[in-house]
Amino acid sequence: MSAVAAGPDAATATATATAALDLPDLGAWFAAEPFSVPQADKERALLADLNRLTAHHRRACAPYARVLDAFGHGDGAATSVAGVPMLPVRAFKTHRLASVPDDEVFKTLTSSGTTGAAVSRILLDKGAAALQTKALAHTMRAVLGRDRLPMLLADSAAIVKDRRSFSARGAGVLGMMPFGRDHVFALDADMRLDEAAVRGFLERHGNAPFLVFGFTFMVWLHLYEPARAAGLDLSNGTLVHSGGWKTMVDRAVDPATFRRRLRDDTGLTRMHNFYGMVEQIGSVFLEGPEGDGTLYPPSFADVVVRDPATWEEAAVGQVGVIEVVSALPTSYPGHALLTEDLGVVEGVDDGPAWRGKRFRVLGRVPKAEVRGCSDTVTVPR
Amino acid sequence: MSAPEAVVSRRLVDATTSLGAGPIVSRLDGTRHADAASLLDRMGWDGGASPLRPGDPRAVAFLGRVSHHLLRGAARSHPELVALGYFLRPTELERLLADRAGRTAPDTVVVPRGLVFHVPPANVDTIFVYSWALSLLAGNANVVRLSDRTDGAAARALVDAVRLAAAEADPVVARTQALVGYGHDDAVTAALSEACDVRVLWGGDAAVHRLRGFPLAPGARELTFPDRFSLAVIGAAGYLALDADGRDRLAAGLFNDAYWFDQAACASPRLVVLVGDDAACAATDADLWLRLAATVDRRAYRVETGTAIDKRVATVGLALDGLACAVRWCSNEVVVVDVGAAGFSRVHAGAGTFQVLRLPTLDALVPLLGRRDQTLTHAGLGADELTGLARLLNGRGVDRMVPVGQALTFAAVWDGEDLFEAFVRRVTVRPA
Repeated sequence: MSAVAAGPDAATATATATAALDLPDLGAWFAAEPFSVPQADKERALLADLNRLTAHHRRACAPYARVLDAFGHGDGAATSVAGVPMLPVRAFKTHRLASVPDDEVFKTLTSSGTTGAAVSRILLDKGAAALQTKALAHTMRAVLGRDRLPMLLADSAAIVKDRRSFSARGAGVLGMMPFGRDHVFALDADMRLDEAAVRGFLERHGNAPFLVFGFTFMVWLHLYEPARAAGLDLSNGTLVHSGGWKTMVDRAVDPATFRRRLRDDTGLTRMHNFYGMVEQIGSVFLEGPEGDGTLYPPSFADVVVRDPATWEEAAVGQVGVIEVVSALPTSYPGHALLTEDLGVVEGVDDGPAWRGKRFRVLGRVPKAEVRGCSDTVTVPR
Repeated sequence: MSAPEAVVSRRLVDATTSLGAGPIVSRLDGTRHADAASLLDRMGWDGGASPLRPGDPRAVAFLGRVSHHLLRGAARSHPELVALGYFLRPTELERLLADRAGRTAPDTVVVPRGLVFHVPPANVDTIFVYSWALSLLAGNANVVRLSDRTDGAAARALVDAVRLAAAEADPVVARTQALVGYGHDDAVTAALSEACDVRVLWGGDAAVHRLRGFPLAPGARELTFPDRFSLAVIGAAGYLALDADGRDRLAAGLFNDAYWFDQAACASPRLVVLVGDDAACAATDADLWLRLAATVDRRAYRVETGTAIDKRVATVGLALDGLACAVRWCSNEVVVVDVGAAGFSRVHAGAGTFQVLRLPTLDALVPLLGRRDQTLTHAGLGADELTGLARLLNGRGVDRMVPVGQALTFAAVWDGEDLFEAFVRRVTVRPA
């Protein structure tokens, strides 16, 4: 990314290390403010990085190279982001895919699994793990500012106690905790509002900006409802929440209702939903400040919505299957992934405050009906 | 809901409220039973002789009424139910019985086994009727356990047809034939396994393993239908000798074999083997998939997005595993995977996914086949070649070889087993 100034030593060090592997110079992505890069500039730079990653993973990950060959992707570079070859996210549940030797695997991320379901495994080396942290911090700055604020977690301390068995909730909470200080968990071990703890937090910090983080359904069921009943004032808070709207829609709470009720009953007005997945590190798509539910990709990532009949890129306004791309997955071939979510791009560079593609996640692709004598679904879900 | 369905459902509700309580529910009249013992009691089953005989006209009449309701009712929108309806026509059943009688020696009296317990697969709506019908024709009392998941439109149409026929049937038939559902109740499965003379288990492998944990009585026998795999074998020279109409008919036959149950039936071909020299195989390949794709279009078969994604995951998996030399994504509906020396996969990839293998001779197929392999559909090959292959295989694998287009035609000899035979006992009577 030549158009932006890079910070000195860190960027040079990163550039030297990654140049040795012919990996993209990722330091450059963090120089510009998040959500400030016009789409055309982003796509140009992102395409170059994605092509280098495809070539890198082809060399470093033999199974990935087999996929490229089998699907007819030659050695040549893609001419558009949509032309970069993609893997389905479920490949990381069925296969262990690494572009680094085993002794360099520093951290393994896993998705939460319902009982019996296969779990995704994402292998990170030290560099990729550091990038992930840096990327999240960079993105969150757009909504949290540069200071670490007091943080209220809409969950129970129990969720992070057992370091060995992580659910997505545990990983999410742990991932977000570094962005705040003076953490208080709002729920007790029985998932009930710890009113004393929350009142204490609000007495100490409620008159100045503070953070609230939690999964959407947790915030609604276990924080909002009791907070409303107890008449708590959350008006200085900024809420960051994630986890999908399916369970909420089942309770007839859509994003607009969620926003309105929180505002009316607890005073909370600053809210940012986000969409992400363990399979693509750093890809946290944040709801813009206009608060209408549309999400924006961070600096080093993007979305491509695909027509499920032809798999070509869908037009703006056309619903399709979401593909996510990112310059960050260097230790595993996760830079272009086809998700199992439906979405739609509503506009490009036309948001009131942020640049880039403005899109909406509409929910999971409906599960296909399984037929046949076999009692197991042989393609694991 | 249409009027007849509403009437049937009301009857079911009324029946439920007035006829007992318990985990075992009859799908025919809503009766509930507290346990297996009370179910068997209601059926009049005491471990002795069945009140029906092999070829019992009352059974033939009942199955004839099932056939009638299938061919005239909502079943007509489901081709698999039409096929079942034809199989159950009285003339067909009489022919089957006459054939068996013709092969019975004069010193043999054919009698039923007694009580047969069927556990069909959860998601193939209709297959249970074939084994149940043959067992009933053999004179047995039957308990068929239908999974709660058996609830597709075809299954419901089928159960309705059976229910109507049961209402018209001889009371002895109605009493001795139970279609039941009962959640996860090991005690019931154990008791029925203990009480039966034959147990019929449909797949997959995991279900068979699990159910084998429930012991049978020492004299009882078991039929299992675990995970199976099927393939189509096409002689390239024979294919190329066909004219355009012949090739189109072949493509139509392959479509029926593969797409009826979204390629999930045991007998649906998931591997296509082309036999011949390089040039002939290449020419056959180039022509076959185009014709199949055209047939798919004409029949307006479409896969859902979720299925298309499943197929992507499966084919990427084949590539990751080094089995796929090339994946040709003609459309979401037709995906062709070239496989070779590294072998092929028997894991079900998805509606309209075909692995393709080229072999120079038919004999080269032998070492690649095994016990899992059930149906080999063929085209462009002669009778001698096929018989020769069956002899070379010598039990290694493959239970039936039928022309392309007939993969899903159920026959009384299934998976190498003569079902009717399995359901009777042959008593030798030699006078002094």
